[in-house]
Amino acid sequence: MSRGLRTEPTREAAREAREAIEYCYEQGWTDGLPVVPPAEEFVEEFLEQVDRDPEEVVFDQPHLGRKCTVRLAAANAVMAGCRPEHFPVVLAMLEAVRDLPVSRGLFQSTTGQAVLVVVNGPVRQVLGFNSTDNVFSPGNRSNATVGRALRLVVMNAFGIRPHAFDQSTQGTPAKYSFCIAENEEESPWEPLHVERGFAGQESTVTVAWARGTMPVEQRDSKHPEHILLNIADSMSYGGGYFPSPRGHGSIVVMGPEHAQLIAQAGWSKQQVREFLWEHFGRRAGELRRLAKEGGLDPQLPDEAFVRFAHAPEAITLIVAGARNAGVSTVCPTFVWQTVTRRIPIRRT
Amino acid sequence: MADGILFEERGIPAAAVITDAFRRTADAMARAQGLEGYPYVAIPHPISSLSPEELRARAEQALPEVVRLLQEEGAR
Repeated sequence: MSRGLRTEPTREAAREAREAIEYCYEQGWTDGLPVVPPAEEFVEEFLEQVDRDPEEVVFDQPHLGRKCTVRLAAANAVMAGCRPEHFPVVLAMLEAVRDLPVSRGLFQSTTGQAVLVVVNGPVRQVLGFNSTDNVFSPGNRSNATVGRALRLVVMNAFGIRPHAFDQSTQGTPAKYSFCIAENEEESPWEPLHVERGFAGQESTVTVAWARGTMPVEQRDSKHPEHILLNIADSMSYGGGYFPSPRGHGSIVVMGPEHAQLIAQAGWSKQQVREFLWEHFGRRAGELRRLAKEGGLDPQLPDEAFVRFAHAPEAITLIVAGARNAGVSTVCPTFVWQTVTRRIPIRRT
Repeated sequence: MADGILFEERGIPAAAVITDAFRRTADAMARAQGLEGYPYVAIPHPISSLSPEELRARAEQALPEVVRLLQEEGAR
């Protein structure tokens, strides 16, 4: 790591830095917050972290005639405030997002999707990603800047910005940055990347379309069914539902206290997923009351339970946060698939 | 918009229809495709909550404009 001791900048250097930041605002390169000016030498430092042709296209939006090359990705990672060492994570994240369903279109949706980024493996410690308290909150450079790099690529490399190609009716603050690490140390189950066939000593990044975060409280019971029914109920709120051609899913970011209580009662990760799937939905009568019965068989009795997801695999289960309260989070999504990619980390 | 422009580029007459809430995006897409000012039909927003009968009425209102655009000699 090239993190050296810094000396306090001179007044002149600070003034110049501010002018360079203002220049970036004038170019329309920011998400509203200041960016680090992407000087060529900074971009070169990032490119040195990966064995890639700088002109290689990482991700494109053909319908807009726009491409993100390795070099453009590096420039946006610089602007996001990343360190050069973050660049392999940013690149793996962009390639994972490229491989999501509807990755050429959903960035412009009125639904205002964000992309949740989950980091697993040793890179969490090496680069200091936060997986514990305040996992979704501001305060950690790695989480904040890696997540922000995606949004700056979308805005700058693809030109998908508000008032033009980004048509979000309201959007979500998760679009600034939405990057967490899994709390593998306090999870009672295998980590996400191991579940998906990677070795525990590999580092990965997983991405998922997600509409934001919804907190789930259950501090008063240690019974798995009580905890999981609260989570399933939060997954199934009426406003989040519409008949989606792609199939609803849900990302459950379970707090370690909930996860440990459930595991102590003998439940495996797969059993949790199956239980959540069985209870992810609403009765037909409730959907009719909400005028959300599109696609329902009119003969279906009001008492019939309508499952929102096609199979337990539509539920992605992660453990993150502090082991200090019975709190979990649900991230709603109507594209259930997620993508996991290995982060190539160089041995130095 | 992109579909309409891509059809036109292949010599197939097209008329893009949008609701008026999407004018900004439509204009941006026409610029991105190199055809600033590409004409389209803008019908009143919203439509997704309309009944089938109401939707049919919107379509009938838009029809003369759609036919006019189809008959125009391309956009260029």
